[in-house]
Formats: sequence, structure tokens, C-alpha cells
Amino acid sequence: MKSWIQVFSIIDFISVGILLTAIAMNAFRRLESYLRAYILNSWLLSLLIAIVAFMIGETHLYIASVTTLLSKGIIIPLLLKKIVRQMAITYDDEPYISTALSLTISGILVAVVYTSLSEGIFVIGFSKHVLQISIAVILIGLFIMITRKKAITQVIGLLCMENGLFLAGFSLTFGMPIIIELGVLFDMLMGVIILGIFSIQIKRAFASADLDKLTILKG
Amino acid sequence: MEYLQFIIIILFSPLIQGFIRKLKANMQGRVGPGVFQPYYDLVRLLHKDMVVSGITSWIFKATPYIVFASTAAAAIIVPVITTSYRFGMMGDVIALIYLFGLGRFFMALSGLDAGTAFGGEGSSREMTVTILVEPMMMLSIFTAAISAGSTNMARIAETQSIAYSPSHILALSAFMVAIIAETGRIPVDNPDTHLELTMIHEGMVLEYSGRYLALMEWSHYMKQMLLFTIVTDIFFPLGISTTLGISSLGISAALYFIKMFCISVFMALVESTRSKMRFFQLPSLLGGAFVLAVLSLLTYIMMGK
Amino acid sequence: MDAEYFLNTGILFFLFGAVGSLIIPGKAKEYLFVLPAIGALNLIISGLYLSSGMEMRIVSVPISSALEFVFRGDPLSGFFVTVISILVLPVSIYSIGYIKTIGNKGSMGFLYNLFILSMYSVILSGNIITFLISWETMSVVSYFLVTFDRDEKSTRAGLQYAVMTHIGTAFIIALFLILYKNTGQMDFSSIKTLATKLSVDIKSIVFIFSVIGFGMKAGIIPLHTWLPKAHPSAPSNISALMSGVMIKTGIYGFVRVSMDVMGQGPDWWGITIIIIGAVSSILGVLYALMEHDMKRLLAYHSVENIGIILLGIGASMMFRSNGLYSLASIALIAGLYHVLNHAVFKGLLFLGAGSVMHAAHTKNMEDMGGLIKTMPFTAITFLIGSVSICAFPPFNGFISEWLTYQSLILGFKSSSMTSKIISPMGGAALALTGALAAACFVKAFGIAFLGMPRSRHAGNAKESPLSMIIGMIMLAVLCLVFGIFPNATITMISSSAVQLTGSQGIVTGNWFLYINDTLANLSPVSILITVLVMFAASVLFVLGVGGKRKTIYGASWDCGIPSLTPRMQYTATAFTKPIRLIFKRIYLPRRELRISYHVKPFFVKAIKYTGEITPFFEKYIYEPVTISIFKVARKVRLLQSGSLHLYLLYILVTLILLLMFGH
Repeated sequence: MKSWIQVFSIIDFISVGILLTAIAMNAFRRLESYLRAYILNSWLLSLLIAIVAFMIGETHLYIASVTTLLSKGIIIPLLLKKIVRQMAITYDDEPYISTALSLTISGILVAVVYTSLSEGIFVIGFSKHVLQISIAVILIGLFIMITRKKAITQVIGLLCMENGLFLAGFSLTFGMPIIIELGVLFDMLMGVIILGIFSIQIKRAFASADLDKLTILKG
Repeated sequence: MEYLQFIIIILFSPLIQGFIRKLKANMQGRVGPGVFQPYYDLVRLLHKDMVVSGITSWIFKATPYIVFASTAAAAIIVPVITTSYRFGMMGDVIALIYLFGLGRFFMALSGLDAGTAFGGEGSSREMTVTILVEPMMMLSIFTAAISAGSTNMARIAETQSIAYSPSHILALSAFMVAIIAETGRIPVDNPDTHLELTMIHEGMVLEYSGRYLALMEWSHYMKQMLLFTIVTDIFFPLGISTTLGISSLGISAALYFIKMFCISVFMALVESTRSKMRFFQLPSLLGGAFVLAVLSLLTYIMMGK
Repeated sequence: MDAEYFLNTGILFFLFGAVGSLIIPGKAKEYLFVLPAIGALNLIISGLYLSSGMEMRIVSVPISSALEFVFRGDPLSGFFVTVISILVLPVSIYSIGYIKTIGNKGSMGFLYNLFILSMYSVILSGNIITFLISWETMSVVSYFLVTFDRDEKSTRAGLQYAVMTHIGTAFIIALFLILYKNTGQMDFSSIKTLATKLSVDIKSIVFIFSVIGFGMKAGIIPLHTWLPKAHPSAPSNISALMSGVMIKTGIYGFVRVSMDVMGQGPDWWGITIIIIGAVSSILGVLYALMEHDMKRLLAYHSVENIGIILLGIGASMMFRSNGLYSLASIALIAGLYHVLNHAVFKGLLFLGAGSVMHAAHTKNMEDMGGLIKTMPFTAITFLIGSVSICAFPPFNGFISEWLTYQSLILGFKSSSMTSKIISPMGGAALALTGALAAACFVKAFGIAFLGMPRSRHAGNAKESPLSMIIGMIMLAVLCLVFGIFPNATITMISSSAVQLTGSQGIVTGNWFLYINDTLANLSPVSILITVLVMFAASVLFVLGVGGKRKTIYGASWDCGIPSLTPRMQYTATAFTKPIRLIFKRIYLPRRELRISYHVKPFFVKAIKYTGEITPFFEKYIYEPVTISIFKVARKVRLLQSGSLHLYLLYILVTLILLLMFGH
């Protein structure tokens, strides 16, 4: 079974899948598709951890995989869906940059990451590719946060960044200490809940979910 | 004998077109025309007189032959069921794409020749779609060529039996989008329409009739089958014969038709489950496919396979 | 009978042509153009000798004890001499007929011959002084040729051209000064032997100056703004020469300085050139697409093709720095082949444009149409030129673009990660410009020649005189020849490549090209034969199956509208509208619509529509720079107050300063 996984480069495929879903978040305007890309991203992440756990045989990684699946793959998406339904928005209209351009910039980001990290980092076995991909995902998440107007899409960008961070830490150390990971997860959860509350309040106050309108608050 | 494998493309391309049409009809709950209908259409057209506009010039009459000749010449470069034949020395993938371009250039000119707005619109949009598609197609082919070490089609077909690596899958996805654009299928263009709002390919051939129309349609079917063959040669050349033995040729031919079948099913599925996109939304779709092609290159560089 | 003999004979013919144009009266002036034609023929032979590897040291004319003119021939200069001559020959023949429309025939002949001689002089220079003097002569003579028409637009174009080319020359002088200061030599071959001792920093400065200086002449983005103004203003035969060979002297200078004299350089040189090439080619053709002035369109295309040439040369430099010499040779052959091809098909296209403008009395494509019926020869040669520039087989453009693709794919073999990514992306850029160029020429040929005439002049156009047709046909035949027999040409270019990179890259068999490193084959002859056979087969087939059929002539499909007028056809602007919209971030188009009514809003009196694209480089780079230079100049003008006392004060202050710091 182990050699089967290696021969078929499953790990490579899954990591590329993670990268693809992150980039795909740039391409969608409908919140639902956006959310689906994020869900797929998280599921692929937990799958990757599970497979590595299988290959290496460390049980605490299984726990990490299940935690990721539960928190990022199920609970947070459910929360977000509830918020979206309450706010009754379906579209992220008019991001600052057009779809085509943001896709191009994501591609350039990936290229930049690959060129700058190609030498000088010696990591074990497969994890060099995964490290490059994870840093690319972090940058893409940041980019998404910069170019979106609605708070909810910005938070999803932040979550995507967090996925990338987790993957990066994972590829370097084969599993960040559980305590830290749990702590980060808890922060995320709190963040999403707070965001939900704020978004609904903002919508009620300004009758729009647009963060641009917050600039009215300037003195 | 192996020099005649391109005849398969010439002979069977209307069958593939009829097959896709039948599949589409079935998926949409209709009975649809018979699988051999394109053949009957071609024969019928060949027996008709031609009506030609007085505004046109010799380019209009020469174009169908030029398009047919360039597409047939491209068919000779592509290995269909065997890679052991000397015609492959004639050119490589780049020559192939540029031969298509030659046919397309004259088709676009003939659209402008009749002095109508339909032809002009068809030509203009066709050239615009080409602009969006070419870089993506070239880049996916480059990735495949780099991994195979050559741009020669026979060589690429010989190096691997199934392309299985992240970069190849990405290149394949980009290339399939390119094929949808090049063969003028939904969601890029609608091959079954004659409404000017939705015509690209149909706009350019609008003025043709009789044997000219037969040749133009036939070249269109040939180009379609050729593009499918390129996909199988680059990405799934499993089973292609490298020698001239009868048994290996037979297996190769059988596998080839199975692959054509699969691709036809895929195209029919895509056409039946989507609607045609607005023309100015095409840059988003094709731009996304271009990013896939870039990713495939980057993945290949990074992972080395 | 060797290279020197042919060279001297050829130059003599040009000199006779120049002097003769001034002396010989009236009628016969047209036929004097036979002299440069024969001169060119001699020089083709001479160039071929040089390319085959015979080095030749010609007359060296001492001016003073320290300076002398030195002329030197080696394979690289031989190649460029051949390229120039191959274009000059048909253009001279064309000029015989074209001159009839020009007013001042004598000075045209004189300047023409002098211009060509100055270009040869640049290429054959052996030391810095000769090069600089020839370069300057070439710029000055071309200025006079650009402003030949003496109308307002030409004068302004000429002024901008003069200023920009002198800025470029300033950089070239600077780089030569640096070389001289660091090596103490004037002669190119001596500098070359000493160049290995130069530090990398100095070499890099020289490299950057050569990119700016020679790039200005070649017309790379963003130094190209003079090109679309200067080339169209000149008479058409001169435009053909300017676009065909004068900008190539920029390429020659660049290759000579950066590849030959300075030897090898670091990796980033090649990568920079590839990027410049890709950007120039894409932006050049994007702006060409939006033009409906035929000559401006062709001028922008020259920018694009220089970009393609630089792609090949940049790849070559990159391979050389990585030690992959045979790959460097392939890339260099690709770039130089495109130099030759571009000279041939761009010359052809400009001559065709001249023909069309002469017959239809307009430069604007939107006023033309239907010319294919009244000017069949011009049409078919223009068509061949268009097919060649779009790089379709079996014509010559395909060969050089194929070679460029192959060398860019091979870029993968170099070691640095950046070049591994940049090279295939350069290939994607090349594919993009190819598709854009195809769209552009469908528009150019389709709108100008096909359909119905859009103006009275276009309807009355007549075919050009015989000598013009002969010139164009010669170039069209060359397009085909260089396309189906690349072997001979590659052998000719190979010796330059060997000189610069030390290796042979391409194997040429009888009928095909073969590149070892990518196992790629190409046999253009076979492609041509196959296409022709298939053509014949299809004709026979349809005749066989369908039998004899009538052709009925009717009207075009008009949806039932009573009559189609020429104004209902597609226009050039309409044709490129999708592209304008897709690339609107680059074009920044603006439109203005003014409707005047008899009775609002039902009865429209007139509609005025203006649309334009923003000339990005002019507006955001050049205009601010020029305005600030003028501001500074105005302030400096205060120094010249006209007061005698102030001037005396200046002299006193200068003397004091000299005393204090002079020793």
C-alpha cells in the first residue's frame, strides 16, 4: 500500500490540488462556489495529513487530520453558511481587480515562490514541494484578502492563509505540537463567530455588507 | 502502408461528428440525426451547384481547397495508429499548429471577402478566440514536449503510455479547454446555430454552398478529429504501435477508436451540460485555462516529472 | 574575383548612383536607380563570400597619427551586408517606377545611395571612429529622407526622430568611451582580446548602455515612439529600407558589442533581453492592431519583429553564459534568420503599401476595399507578405519562428530556475504575438483588398507600373525561397554563429532541418509538396464526385435588405473591437458620442462618434519628461540675459575657479 501511494505520487497530486483550490478561490464570484473551494481545500489538507500519517506511522498525526477535518472542513463552513444565509448575500460584486487579472497575479505569485525557494532549503524527501506549495497558498490567501470587498470573503481568505500556514508548519516538522494547533484553531473559531456578529451589525447599520462603506466612519 | 494512416482521419472524421451529435441528442432526450448523417450531407452538397457572391474574389473560391489541403497535410504529421513512419519527419507539433493557422487565416479572409457584416463578425471573433487560445495551447504542448524531450509527435507518443503526473493532468485540462474553443463547441461557440448573435465558425462559412461548403465542413470535422488524436498522442498514447506488425497495428487501431469514443462522450457531455458563454466572458474562461497551463509548467519545473 | 573585388565594384556603383542623381538631368533620373541595383547585386556576392568565412581586411584610411578609418569584414558583417543588399536590389527596381510620383528626383537619388552606403559603412566598420562616424551619417541622411515631403507632419516626425536617435547615439558614444578608457584600444578586434580582463561591473554598464543606445535605433519598447511617426512619413521605398534594414543596424551593433566584442556575460543579460523581446513583441503588435493607417500599422509591426529577433538573441546569450554552446548557436541562428526574413517580408509589405497608397490616394484602410480586383499583382504579393509575417508554412517567417520556439523550449536545459521559467513563457509570448499578428493581417489585407471599395478613389484604383510590380514579385519569390530552402540560408548564417559561439547547432540534410537536442525535424519542402498534393487531390475529388457544376453569381446574403452598400461592411475599427475591449487595461480606450437632434429624442440630425486609444508611452512617459525638460530649459534660459556685464562676470568667475582648482 505504501509503495502504491508513492508510485502514484498521490501526495504530489493532493498538494497540487490544494494549490489549485486556493487559486480557484480567485476565480469565483458567487459566495457559494467560493465556500466550496475552501471546503475542498480543507478536506484535501486533512486527507494529505492522513496519508502522511499512514506513510510514517505516527498516530498523533491521525488526530491532527481528524481535527482539521472537523474544524476546518465541517464546523467553520457550517458557521459561514449560516452567516451567509442570515446576511442574504450571494455575490461578491466588483472586487478591486478583475478575475482574469487576479488569476494572472496568483500565477505570478506561484512562480515567484518557486524561483525563490528552489535552493537553499534542505528538507526531508517529499516535503520540499509541499513547503513551496504551502507558502504559495499563504501568499494567495493574503492576496485574496487584499482584493476583496466583503468582510466574509476576506475572512475566507484569512482561513485559506491559515491552511497554508498549517501545511507549511506540517511539512517542516511533521506536525506542529498539538497544543499550538489547537490554540490557533480556537482563535479561528472565535474570529469567525465575531465576524459573523459584526457583519450582521454592519449590514443592519449601513444596509450593505461592503467594507468600503466603513470609511464613512472617519472623523 | 503506414503512410496512409492519415486516411483514417479523412475518412472517419464525419463519423466522429455524427457520433457526437447523436450522443448530444440522446443526452438531451431527442432521437437526433443518424450517426452517418454527415456523410450523406457531404455527398448531397457535392452534387449541388454553387451560388457565389459577386463581390468576392478568387480568395473565396480558393479558400475551401486551401483549408482542406492544410488540414490534410497536418493529418499526415500526426501519428494515428503507429509511430513508425517516415512522414513524421516532415514536421512537429509546432508545424501542426501553424498549419491549422494557415487554414484559419484564409477562412477569416473569405469571411471578409463577401463584404457582409456576418462574415466580418465571424472573422473578427474567430481571430480573437485564437488570440486567447494559442498561448495556452502552446504552453501545454511545451510542458509535454519538455517532459518528453522533443517536439516531434512520434517521439512524444513513444515516451510514455499514460501521462500521469500533476503537471500533465493540468496541461491536459488546459488543452481540453483549448480543444473546445478550437472546434467551436459550447461553451465557446455553438456549432448548430445560424443566428448571427452566436456565430463564429458559422459566420465565416455562411456564404459557402455546394462543393465549397462540403470541403469547409469536412475540413472542420478533420480538424476536430485531429485535435482529439493529438490529445491521445500526447497524453494517452497507451498502446500505440511502434512497429509495423499487423497484430500491434490492429490493437493500436482498436484502442484508438476506443479513445476517440471516450473523448466524444466527454465533448457531448460538456456541450449538453453547459450553455454558451457570452463572448466577452470568454477571456475569463480562457484566462483561467491559461493559468492552468502556467501551473502545469511550474509544477513540472518544481517536481521534475 | 573575390570578396574585395565585388565589394569595391558595388560601392563604386552606389557612388555613381549618388553623384549621377545630382548631375544627370531630368528624364533619365528614374533609370539611374539601376545603378544601386547592380551595386546591391555585387554586394550580395561579396557578402556571401564573407559569410562563408573569409575574413577580409579592407582599405584602412588614416586621418591623423592617432585616428584612422578601418573597415573589416567577418562572417557577422558579411551576413548583414547580404541582408541589406538582398533588400536593396528589389527596392531599387521598385524605385524606378515609384520615383515618378516624387517631386525632387535628384536629391532623392543622391540621398538614397548615400543612405545605403552609410549603412554598409556601419556594418563593415572595424574600429570605434569609423563606426561612430558612419552611424551619425546614417542618422543624418535618414533624417533628410524622413522629412523629404516637407509637410508639417513629416517635419515634426523628423524632429522627434532626430532627437531620439541622437539620445541613442549619446549612449553609444558613452559606451565606446568606456571601452576605450578601459582597454586603450580603438580597434574592435583588439578590444575583443582585451575584453576578458574587464571587470563584470564595467561590462554590465557597457551592456546596459548598448541596450539603450542600440535599442533606440532598433525600436524596442519603450524607446520606440519615433518609429510609428518617422517610418510612415518617409516615401515608401525609403520606409521599406528603414524598417527592413536600418533598424537591423541596431541589432547588428548590439550583437557586435555585447556578444562579439565583450564576449561572455552573466546570466541576467540574456534573461533581460528575452523579457525586453517578449514585451516589445506583444505591445508592438497590440498597438499595430489598432491602427488604420497602413504604414503606421506596418511600423508597429517592425517593433514586434524586433522583439522576436531579441527573443532569439537573448536566448543565445543566456545559453552562452551557461556554457551550452550548441544551443546558443541554434538560438542565434534563429534570431539572425529572422533578421533576414523580416527585411524581406517587411520590405515587401511597405512596397505594397506604397503601391496601394499611390493608386488609392489614401493611407487610411477605412477608405479602401476591393483592391484585389483592380490591383491583382499588388494584392497577391501583399498576401504573400502577410502570410509570411504571420509565420505560416511554407513561407520564410515560419522557419525563423520555428527555430525561435525550439531554442526557447531548449531554455529548459539551462541551470538557473529563472531561465527555466522565463524561456517557455517567452514561447507563450511568441505564440500570443503570432496569433495577434494573424488577426492584424487578416484585418489589413481583408479590409484594404477585399469586399467593396469604400471610397471613390479606391474604386478607381489602377495597378502599379511594371517596375514596381517586378520589385515586389522579387521579394515575394524570396519569401517562398527562404521558406522552402532553409538549408542554404542556415549554412550562410552558421558561420556567424560559429564565430560567436563556437559551435554548429543545426544539422541540415537535403530536404530537412534537424535539431539534435530536441530531436525535432522540419521539412518545409515536404510540407509544401504535401499541401499542393492535397490541394490537387481535393480538386480532383470534388470534380469526380460532383461532376461538372454551375456557379451562379448572386448577391451576398443581406437578410432581405434591398441593397448592400459598402458602408455596411465591417470596418477595421469594428474588426478589432473585441481585442480592444479584452485588452482595455493596456489600451485605455476612450470614446465620445455626440448626437444632435432635430426634435429630441426622435429625429436625429447628426451623430458624431470619436474613439481613440491612449498612447501610453507618449502620454505617461515622454510627455512628462519633455515638459520637465522644457521647464528646466526655461530656467536655464535666465542665464542668458543678454547683459554684457553678466557675461563678463561669468568669465571672471570661471577664471577664478580654474585658478583654484585647475592644477
